[in-house]
Amino acid sequence: MLSKSLRWIVDRFGLRPIWDHVLDRNVPKDPWYHGDGMALLVLLTVLVITGVFLSMGYSPAVDEAYQSVEYITHQQTLGWFVRGLHYWSGGMMVVMLFLHVCRQLMLGGYKSPREATWLIGVMLLAIVLTTSLLGYVLRWDQRGYYGLRALLATLQNVPGLGERLVFLTQGGPEITSLTLSRMFALHVVLVPLVLLLLVGYHVYLVILHGTTTLADRKEPIETVEEQRELYHEQAEHPVKGEVFFPTAFIKISPWSIVALTLSIGLTLTFGPRELMAPASERIASPVSEEWWFAWYSALVALLPPSVAPTFQWLIPIATFFCLVLLPFVDRSPMRGWRNRPVATTLVVLMVVAILALSWLRHQSPWTAHLAIHPPATPQGVILAAEAEQGRMLFQQYGCTSCHSVAGSGHANVGTDLARMDSIYSQTELRQYILHPPRGVAMPDYAERIPEDDLERVVAFVLVAQTFRRTQE
Amino acid sequence: MNRRTVSGLLVVGCSAVVACVVGIPVLISGISPAMRSRQQSWRPVGDLSNFPTGKVSRGIISADQNAWPRTFGEQSVFVWRRSEADLVVFSRSCTDLGCPLEHEPGSGCFLCPCHGGIFAPDGHRLAGPASSPMHRYSHRIREEVLEIDVASIPPAS
Repeated sequence: MLSKSLRWIVDRFGLRPIWDHVLDRNVPKDPWYHGDGMALLVLLTVLVITGVFLSMGYSPAVDEAYQSVEYITHQQTLGWFVRGLHYWSGGMMVVMLFLHVCRQLMLGGYKSPREATWLIGVMLLAIVLTTSLLGYVLRWDQRGYYGLRALLATLQNVPGLGERLVFLTQGGPEITSLTLSRMFALHVVLVPLVLLLLVGYHVYLVILHGTTTLADRKEPIETVEEQRELYHEQAEHPVKGEVFFPTAFIKISPWSIVALTLSIGLTLTFGPRELMAPASERIASPVSEEWWFAWYSALVALLPPSVAPTFQWLIPIATFFCLVLLPFVDRSPMRGWRNRPVATTLVVLMVVAILALSWLRHQSPWTAHLAIHPPATPQGVILAAEAEQGRMLFQQYGCTSCHSVAGSGHANVGTDLARMDSIYSQTELRQYILHPPRGVAMPDYAERIPEDDLERVVAFVLVAQTFRRTQE
Repeated sequence: MNRRTVSGLLVVGCSAVVACVVGIPVLISGISPAMRSRQQSWRPVGDLSNFPTGKVSRGIISADQNAWPRTFGEQSVFVWRRSEADLVVFSRSCTDLGCPLEHEPGSGCFLCPCHGGIFAPDGHRLAGPASSPMHRYSHRIREEVLEIDVASIPPAS
């Protein structure tokens, strides 16, 4: 009876072809770490589900958005969990997607016959990175607001089109409620729709053209026919092949389990991303991007002013087109990271660079902070009255915003006074403070500091530059 | 051309027409904000007496809360009154990526919290990736009230 109903369901719902062509197909044996793509599917599912429920509590109006997110987080039953899971699985998706791309770059996964699989993948990469920014703009806190501002400022620098692109993104000449409606429509309606369609197509192509197998990496493969033949030979081989469901499926699931466990674990440990103050230009705020963009933020900070306005928009666009062109430029028949030393080295360097830049952004040594305390005097050092007054003035004249003194203070923009290249004389210091050399990021104090104050500050700096030396 | 090719082309042609009839108006409507232009828009920053001579003070431009589309909250500017009659109104946005500048009264500098932008008291760049000096609004004084034209600096600044 049961088997009869089951057969009816299988027949009428057309499940047989899915079983035959997707689940019951033979595939070449893959190592366990080939499940990064599946992990992305799992994360996408989590994001769509949590996203749908978040959208039910969200209001995309400039004067309501922030409050609605606060409500979801603090009032709505388990709202914190839904928002937390959406946030962490979103971050996880960016990381997994990056690993997925790196693996394909090292492997040569874009080589024939998988060029289209790769091209759809590159589109997915661009869409995911864009929507990961739009998502936190929707929070409409300081981080989201200034994330949007950075996007608009970047678009504005596109020659000829800048202002048009800004208006298109804003939905008019100013940031209004319509801006947030547009972000909402993109992040919540258009992107998921396009993403699901493209991901479906990407997966279809993966099933049709297969993946880069272990055998592919042994020797150069010149033609598509050769590759296809090898793939099917592997798949149907009693030892080298296996059935996709459940054998291969289970084997490649660790990535998915890790990604999901981490997302849930991070949600339970840290909760959803803390909301900064509501979007406002009135308040002082330490603004920063989400952590998955930290490396790009550092890169942007290091650009020299002459190229910064161009490179800010050129880097993402150029990267996109390089990735698109890659399968047509790299015609070498070699696959597998062992046979591709150049690609492997570049990917390793890229990963190292991204980690280093993220760390650098975390340090942000280029940022001057408004300091409210004068620098501390090293233990055992007693300053003469004039130098002591100078120490107080050192803070009052904003010197502490850029200069630390023998390690006291957080500023790294200017030189630590105790670590200057040489010991300066009184006359040299006066000259330096009144008229700093050109190209030094220090304002000139000429006509802005009374003679008495200058004397005291110089007296302090004269002593301060010997601080470390006396301690040693 | 055989019959099947002709019918095929007909189907494709008709579908294309339908796609255009629906798609083109939708696209035009969606893109239309990009084609709008900015008009001069003078807004009050505050009484002249709020801005002491020789100092840099903060000014707030409030948005019209009844207008549609609802403008985003308040914009913030720095008013530098160099002398009794000479005023400069700076945008608070860093010219690099629009982060909010902080005025450091001691040094007179404007500090960016993002990528190390530092601007001198007169708005010229001292450090960071920004390539242009701080934006200055056009301003006028009407009945002792300082007004600025919010459309006088680039839109995303």
